[in-house]
Amino acid sequence: MEKEWAGTTYGNAWMHRWLIRMLRYIDVRVLYAFTAIFVIPVCLLVNPAGGIIYRYFRKQHGYGPLKSAIKTYQNHYQFSQVVIDKFATYAGKTFRMEIEGAEHFQQLARGVESFVMLSSHIGNYEIAGYTLSSDQKPINALVFFGEKAFVMNNRSKLFADTNTRMIPIRPDMGHLFEIDQALQNGEIVSMPADRLLGSQKKLLIPFLNDTAAFPYGPFSIATIRGLNVLAVHVMKQSTRTYKIYVTPLSYNREAPRQQQIQELAQQYVAEVERMVKLYPTQWYNYFEFWKDDEC
Amino acid sequence: MEELILELKEQIIEVLNLEELTPEDIDPKAPLFGAGGLGLDSIDALELIVLLEKRYGIRLASAAEGKSIFTSVENIAQYVSQNRKK
Repeated sequence: MEKEWAGTTYGNAWMHRWLIRMLRYIDVRVLYAFTAIFVIPVCLLVNPAGGIIYRYFRKQHGYGPLKSAIKTYQNHYQFSQVVIDKFATYAGKTFRMEIEGAEHFQQLARGVESFVMLSSHIGNYEIAGYTLSSDQKPINALVFFGEKAFVMNNRSKLFADTNTRMIPIRPDMGHLFEIDQALQNGEIVSMPADRLLGSQKKLLIPFLNDTAAFPYGPFSIATIRGLNVLAVHVMKQSTRTYKIYVTPLSYNREAPRQQQIQELAQQYVAEVERMVKLYPTQWYNYFEFWKDDEC
Repeated sequence: MEELILELKEQIIEVLNLEELTPEDIDPKAPLFGAGGLGLDSIDALELIVLLEKRYGIRLASAAEGKSIFTSVENIAQYVSQNRKK
């Protein structure tokens, strides 16, 4: 299986509109229950992701067969919840946010220097964009170019109120110029750091009892101008509550470039590992993350 | 121009960590990106953008401009010699 994400939210525009309309009138828990009973069992039967996640629990967490099977179901259920929550946000609903390490974000946001926020496909990162924002510095979020227009339009509408704009990854390198421009202007750049998007260059890093390939790009971009870097992860706590973890990452800025990149990547991956150990069912990379020819 | 081409090759090897290469291995006319040349990709392009800015004081305005300049070492050298501020 190609180690790359298709890059788009499942479903067509009609389904997304229908979902948003429904969520204006009904509680998210009604949809949670519907997906738990009718959607997830079918998904687990027809979708190969079930096997991938089962192996993730067996190998990366060392769970037994029964516990892994139960956790696989919970993982799919939690993923459906964060998707529903995303559309609930588009429908105007809000969630309670707890923030750990907000002072790190605020301190950097007050400064003149630009900085980078790294995230992964765990929890519900998008929902952070509606909470973690700065009046002083615009946030530039790198997103996949192939995402559906309907989803992008809804994100844009919500992000417009939070001084956030999206930079889609383009085949013509245009996104790199936009990122570089934003970093030169003292702005914030937010990037996913767990999937190969655009560039295929990768770093092999020890992660959850094995070695996994992480993208080279985000760590290269962050260190190229010696910028401050925050790891930002947003994990679901309960039906209506998320917790945002903001963790500063450090690297030796005097070291040779490759060492800086490696150091930063290792620190970031250690933080992802900490999160995934705290919230093992909120891992949403539905491809063979640890299966790589070079691993 | 020969001197600048050599300097650029050395810089490219250093910033892109192409330790297995020497300046002699890089054909100044060969394409930098894609098959048949150095096989660089978009992240390498960003390194080159910052290299031009830091070392020669050149700020590229757009992706299209970058694409037309980063075709070969010879082409970059030509652009640098005409636009350098350092």
